[in-house]
Amino acid sequence: MNCSTGQLLRVNLTEGTINTESISSTIIDKYMGGRGLGTKILFDEINPRIDPLGPENKLIFVPGRFNGTPLIGAGRYMVVTKSPLTGTIACPNCGGHCGPEIKFAGWDAIVIEGQSPKPVYLTIDNDNVALKSAESLWGKGTGDTEKMIREEIGDSWLGRETQIMAIGPGGENLIKMASIMHDYHALGRNGAGAVMGSKRLKAISVRGTRGINIADSALLQKLIDEQYKKYLYPGNPGNEYWKIRHAFGTWRNLPNAQSLGEMPNFNYNEGYFPEWADFSLQKVAEEYFTGKSTCYGCPYGTHKRSKVTTPGYEGCGAGPEYETLGVFGPVCGVTFLPAVFKANYICNEMGIDTIDMGVSIACAMELFESGYLPESEVGHKLNFGNYDAMIDLVKKTAVREGFGALLAEGGYRMAEHFGHPELFMGVKKQAMSMHHPQGCQNFGLAYATCNGGANHTKHVVNFTNRFETKGAAEFIKDGQDFNTIHDSLGLCISVWNSPAVNKLDLPSFIEAAVGMKMDFKGLCFIGERIWNLEKLFNLRAGFTAKDDTLPRKMFEHPLTRGASKGQVVKLNEMLPEYYEIRGWNKDGIPTPEKIAELGLEAEVAALSGLAKGE
Amino acid sequence: MAKIIVDHKKCIGCRTCEAACALKHAENVINAKKSRIKIFEVGPLFLPVFAGPYTEASCSNRRTMKFEGVEVDECIICPASCPAKPVFKDPDGDIALKCDLCGEPPSPECCKVCLCGALTFVDDKKPEAQTAKTAKK
Repeated sequence: MNCSTGQLLRVNLTEGTINTESISSTIIDKYMGGRGLGTKILFDEINPRIDPLGPENKLIFVPGRFNGTPLIGAGRYMVVTKSPLTGTIACPNCGGHCGPEIKFAGWDAIVIEGQSPKPVYLTIDNDNVALKSAESLWGKGTGDTEKMIREEIGDSWLGRETQIMAIGPGGENLIKMASIMHDYHALGRNGAGAVMGSKRLKAISVRGTRGINIADSALLQKLIDEQYKKYLYPGNPGNEYWKIRHAFGTWRNLPNAQSLGEMPNFNYNEGYFPEWADFSLQKVAEEYFTGKSTCYGCPYGTHKRSKVTTPGYEGCGAGPEYETLGVFGPVCGVTFLPAVFKANYICNEMGIDTIDMGVSIACAMELFESGYLPESEVGHKLNFGNYDAMIDLVKKTAVREGFGALLAEGGYRMAEHFGHPELFMGVKKQAMSMHHPQGCQNFGLAYATCNGGANHTKHVVNFTNRFETKGAAEFIKDGQDFNTIHDSLGLCISVWNSPAVNKLDLPSFIEAAVGMKMDFKGLCFIGERIWNLEKLFNLRAGFTAKDDTLPRKMFEHPLTRGASKGQVVKLNEMLPEYYEIRGWNKDGIPTPEKIAELGLEAEVAALSGLAKGE
Repeated sequence: MAKIIVDHKKCIGCRTCEAACALKHAENVINAKKSRIKIFEVGPLFLPVFAGPYTEASCSNRRTMKFEGVEVDECIICPASCPAKPVFKDPDGDIALKCDLCGEPPSPECCKVCLCGALTFVDDKKPEAQTAKTAKK
């Protein structure tokens, strides 16, 4: 098989056993690899109704199929699991250099199951796989953990080739929005870090020296050369786009979002943040960025190294990215940048998803200002813009101290505790990202229908017709299917939806690298199959059409300023059409005809078997 | 003389060069651990190093050098493979790997994919440097 080894590594932490298995080529080709493969394995191996933090849940690390190739932006890998935050199937996605290294070690998937009695970490060096004690690492931050594991390796040359994923105190303390970190990159969403913490698996280190088979290396090389000449070299629009990304990273989204009036602020009450009307990217870059780093195979260099020297907020590391900037900035009503950086650094070190953390704090701020959250609960005032309180709550959440213990359960559960879950700005208990759905109708539909809860990386969005509901259903359905393929191949959506590439070229890259002949439609069909399999998991886990919705505020409270002034989300104009285009009935359940078309009959039968067993 | 010029200040550590080199030098397989160029991360720096000739003897007088205030072990930026520096050895054997300025006429793959301009190929016979940054459409 090409771009695939067909080998699965299974680590049972209860028994302390390590086994290898073969994956049939039929499965790999039917699901493409990456997200598709991980979804299929999880679907086959766990009952969707299990407790996500119990030993029955599994963590399935899957590198994208193109990981390790020189294809631009092919460095993404994922972990598939049942999310403790949402209760849905989840597939947080991450960049960096870990995915290719898993591939070089020869694994298409790493399945972690059971629960270790004591803290352990896993080392993978090709076939040499071992569990080691992590007693001395437990309680340490993610950066320190990486450093200590490298020191333990001893040999500096080996250490340089080793990539490490680790959880911080966030994951250890089962914070429902804990992330898994790797060199400041995050498998951030859906609380995968808490699943890892529940298994008492502190870290995974991986190194590999194996080759990846390619169908036709000469053809692949020719296609890559052509792609650079056609889109990326100076004189092409892709090069202009690359220059902006190279200089400002994802921060360039901020002025765009502001000008479109879709920059969420004050807990999504507004879509334009006047306090940052004169925001200068240049100034930020000069003041805080110290260098660039990036993911494997990506020349963009969006992952900025940064440093803050403001007394009381000192720190260094990487980021924040746009999402984190937005959430600890405008969404919490904060304008003081050193505080935004500081909250980001703490989240990275503690291993907490910045988006869910920030939106949860913003929700608490609105609860406080509305009089639903008494000051005595928090210990201090919690008005919008109180950045010291924000930083304090991030620290307290990581260790479940005081009000932090409530936040650690996620913003939705915290707001529910005070009787107002509608003030949490999320879908399926996961926070929305830094795109205001009232500023873009189809984004609202995408949030509402995403299988893993609100997410900004699981679809392609249409800003050109952003106030149109007509055509949104078809656009989002196609975007979700195509994006599922992105994830399965390990491609970055940020690169593959930019002028740096022509995504219609993807089938030719697949032919050269994998040797599979298929057109763009055929590719999206595989994506549709994966999307529906995720949906089947969620239906069995107890989710219904009622969960495919947005917070009430999105429908009832028109924005009052900026370029999206007056807008509300008209989800009811889009959702029924979306279900219809998906081949689902009005309750959002795939019809038997759709199941047959996608070849998922056996999976549906397995679910019926589970139902009978109860 | 044809050679590759390295400007480490422009390197962001994407390692596309490693993968491109690996793709070029083996048929129908990519093994980046057999690449003849490696990016080393030292503190905030990314340092691209090419595989030079193999030498049997390791140095006895290794120094540290300063790059923009960062101390770097000279061994890291040394292009020679030697018993003390196993990085440019084929992991499936003991063969030492060496950059061969691939292409006929030379047009190294690593330079073609280095959009950031850290790697530039120059050939004295040709007046203009060839790199992704300066390439004509």
